[in-house]
Amino acid sequence: MNRECEKDGNSIKVKRLLLLILLILLILTISTVIILFLIRINSDNTAIVVVPNENISGGVGLVIDYDAKNSMLSKNDNTPEQGVAISGYSSMTVPANTDKITVDFYNPEENAELYYLTFELRLYNDNGQDYEVLYTSGLVEPGKHIEQITLSHGLEKGRYDAVIHVQPYRMNEEKTLTNNADMRIALIVK
Amino acid sequence: MKKLLAVILSVIITMNMSIISLAAEDITQDSQEQSGETNINYNIGLTYTVTIPASVTFTDSEKSVERGLQASNVFINEGTSLHVKISSLNDFKLKCGEGYIDYSILYNSNKAPEGNNYTILTVGNGDTAGWVILRFTTELDKKHAKYAGNYTDTLTFTVSVD
Repeated sequence: MNRECEKDGNSIKVKRLLLLILLILLILTISTVIILFLIRINSDNTAIVVVPNENISGGVGLVIDYDAKNSMLSKNDNTPEQGVAISGYSSMTVPANTDKITVDFYNPEENAELYYLTFELRLYNDNGQDYEVLYTSGLVEPGKHIEQITLSHGLEKGRYDAVIHVQPYRMNEEKTLTNNADMRIALIVK
Repeated sequence: MKKLLAVILSVIITMNMSIISLAAEDITQDSQEQSGETNINYNIGLTYTVTIPASVTFTDSEKSVERGLQASNVFINEGTSLHVKISSLNDFKLKCGEGYIDYSILYNSNKAPEGNNYTILTVGNGDTAGWVILRFTTELDKKHAKYAGNYTDTLTFTVSVD
């Protein structure tokens, strides 16, 4: 009887000890979680740091030189008339068999108060001489874009030689024509 | 008692898993394991701007005029070049009715375009800009310009990237 009581007493002591250990572990775990959480919210956890260009030192990052507009036109005081700025194109991709397409025909800000532009999309024949006009715009003011146009007809899938003919007009009452530009492009129809 | 132990053990296990996940994501300069992976992209679209001379006007006192042609903001694919060709509506003649006046163009000081649709500017090899000075010159020859009038021509600058 005494042995059984002694055993029960030992068992209770072991369980209390185990419970105490577990409680200590629990407290340690909670403390660790709280500390880690606080460290995390206080730290800068950004994986990629974007450094402003002026702070990039040699070899750290690729610096793109956008200062390509140093113009001999603007520096040449002998040039009484500013030229016509025309944005370039190399290709256009449009969906097949539809006449409504998305483009970006743009009259640069540099032409402000000087020139309107018109845009004509010409599709050249195999001989490279004759062409068909698919679209002609009205006058586009400087800084404005044309983004949706309607072609005279849709095109089958394929790759076509095309030209965007850009005709500038002076912003005067007569809207006189100036010299013009043809941008040769690949018209890709998918 | 067993239930209480089970609950406490479950809480400990769950919180330890949280510790693992919290600690696993951070990679800092002081970390022993400094590895991570990400994709960084900067897509530069094909762009360029060409500035063409709007017009040239000759007068009795000014028969030689300079104009600039420039390409700027040129971002084109590697291995390609931007070309600008010049062509004339009237084959480099100022026309008025049946009459005409010859004129000439020199570029890069002394070169003349060899016929219509001739390349006068090429920008490539990673250059982002290029320019050329065009000198337009005429001599009034009344042999073919017998009448008064406005003698004109129109230039077309053809731009291609290839």
